[in-house]
Amino acid sequence: MATLIEVQNLKKDYPMGAAGVFNALKGVDIKVEKGEFVAIMGASGSGKSTLLHLLGCLDTPTSGSYLLEGTPVHTLSQDELAELRNSKIGFIFQSFYLLPRANVLENVELPLIYDKIPPSERKKRAMEVISFLQLETHAKHLPNQLSGGQRQQIAIARALVNNPSLIMADEPTGNLDSVTSQRIMELLKKLNDMGNTLILVTHEADIAVYAKRLVRIKDGIIISDEPIKKD
Amino acid sequence: MSSAQIKKEEIFGLWGTFVELVKVSLRAIMGSKMRSFLTVLGIIIGVLAVVTVLSIIQGVFASFFKEFETMGADTMFIRPNYEMFKSHVEGIRRLKMTYDDALYVKENVPDVKDVAPFLMSSDQISYRGKKDSTQIIGTTDSYITVNNLGLDEGRFISSVDVATRRKVCVIGVDIIDKLALPPQCIGEEIQIGRGTYTIIGVQEKKGGSFGQSQDDIIYIPLTTGVQQYGQTVANQVFMVVQVKDVKKMDDSVDRISTALRRKHGLKFGQEDDFRIFTVEQVRKIIKQFTSISTLVVTAIVSITLIVGGIGIMNIMLVSVTERTREIGIRMAVGAKRRHILYQFLLESVTLSTLGGIIGLLSGWGLAHLIVFILRKSVSETFPPAYVPIWVVFLSLLFAALTGAVFGVYPAYKASRLDPIEALRYE
Repeated sequence: MATLIEVQNLKKDYPMGAAGVFNALKGVDIKVEKGEFVAIMGASGSGKSTLLHLLGCLDTPTSGSYLLEGTPVHTLSQDELAELRNSKIGFIFQSFYLLPRANVLENVELPLIYDKIPPSERKKRAMEVISFLQLETHAKHLPNQLSGGQRQQIAIARALVNNPSLIMADEPTGNLDSVTSQRIMELLKKLNDMGNTLILVTHEADIAVYAKRLVRIKDGIIISDEPIKKD
Repeated sequence: MSSAQIKKEEIFGLWGTFVELVKVSLRAIMGSKMRSFLTVLGIIIGVLAVVTVLSIIQGVFASFFKEFETMGADTMFIRPNYEMFKSHVEGIRRLKMTYDDALYVKENVPDVKDVAPFLMSSDQISYRGKKDSTQIIGTTDSYITVNNLGLDEGRFISSVDVATRRKVCVIGVDIIDKLALPPQCIGEEIQIGRGTYTIIGVQEKKGGSFGQSQDDIIYIPLTTGVQQYGQTVANQVFMVVQVKDVKKMDDSVDRISTALRRKHGLKFGQEDDFRIFTVEQVRKIIKQFTSISTLVVTAIVSITLIVGGIGIMNIMLVSVTERTREIGIRMAVGAKRRHILYQFLLESVTLSTLGGIIGLLSGWGLAHLIVFILRKSVSETFPPAYVPIWVVFLSLLFAALTGAVFGVYPAYKASRLDPIEALRYE
């Protein structure tokens, strides 16, 4: 299997004013192959969000190296990171993060706009993903007309629309009831079965079990990294 | 794919992005209509003021210089020097220029080819019960040649008509409609004020510039006019003088001036009680007027720019803060800094341009309303408001520019946000 992510001795410090610096990540090594479904677990303050931001190309490390499909991410500028996020990464967030004034179709189209895809092509591709998730009837609805589960599905559609190499899910079920959470996790599992690489960040064990591999993080270092055995 | 195709795709992509941005801007603006309206109020009022003032001034200006439009380079226009007095009314009461003066100039200045004296009045007209009013010009046979007028039918006023004070008239084409005259109107008799006149000719259609028709006019013999309208009007005879050699224009002006001073018995050192306008001078006045109005516009527009711009910058800063989350989302899915910059810049330009359009339309409306009120209360012949195309473009351009200049800082601020912090913003 081809390597998607290769991270070596990744460190991230945050300045804390007079108190010096806060070492959020103290040297993380991790390797993710294409097609994997990795859950990153940890308590709040463990550094899991920092790791997610770095892996998601939203931020650059203080030191260490990060290769995404061979691209050295740690050397890139803000705009180059934006381009990388646009072409290789799809995000799913806890609070969905949909644009409130844009309808479902426009929300799903959003990443394609920044990829300079012509409008007709954009609409076609967005509709394809929307119908894959069976949300066609809601294409013209605004996010606030939909349920939480539906909103998260829209966010998933947006994450899929640019055919990303990596899907990053940050507590995707944190704002959902247990039944809906289950449905969303089944969907993510299905996406993984179709060949998508997923990284899931959560603090809930019953959500993490949907993944195939579990990475535990505490105080800025990885304390365990093992496959999840299925019953 | 060929390179031309790729290029086409790219341009299409850019255009698509632009359309998308305008859509996003309009949605944001319409999302809070009241706030958007209050934001651009400064610009609306500024543009409204500029357009109202300019369109009324331009209307007056256009109607004033209408008289000079048909003037050839070899002619000059002479009228009493009303500027000697504080008011025009006092000038009319105290100054005198008569048909005799015109004849004197023609006979005593060898440079002069011809002189067309004329007096002006306005009067009620009627034909078989149909009533209206129009401008009356009392003049001589020279008027048609000096002013290069054409006739559709019949003949112009002759020297015999003038000498014998005949009650004949030449009408502008608008009069046919106004009085519902028959198609063959030569020989018909119409009522002008107290007198009955026979139509002897119809003037060729001149068309209207600046919204005021030049065909809404009736010519009668000057002497008949003096008889009908009395001494006050007869003392305000203007003249158009045609010279033999256009190259000696300045010398001719001097000689005519000397002759008129002699005729009016003015002593050395006394101010001229008449004014001579050549085409060259009229051009100078137009230029002067244009530069003054440009100055006025620039001043008002500058204030608009600052006041309106500050309002826009203020609200755009608030808007950027309110929409920090949105900016974070856009950045997360791949918006580069410049995409965010363009988005907010375009929003402020769209906002200010909309303000400009509203200001323009309401200014146009207000100017017409003011003219309407002035016509009802002051004078029925007050010239119509006129909005030159350069005012339209200039005010829209300045409105858009204001949005651009004062939108830069908020847009820049938005584009420099950190994606993670923007996403976390509550």
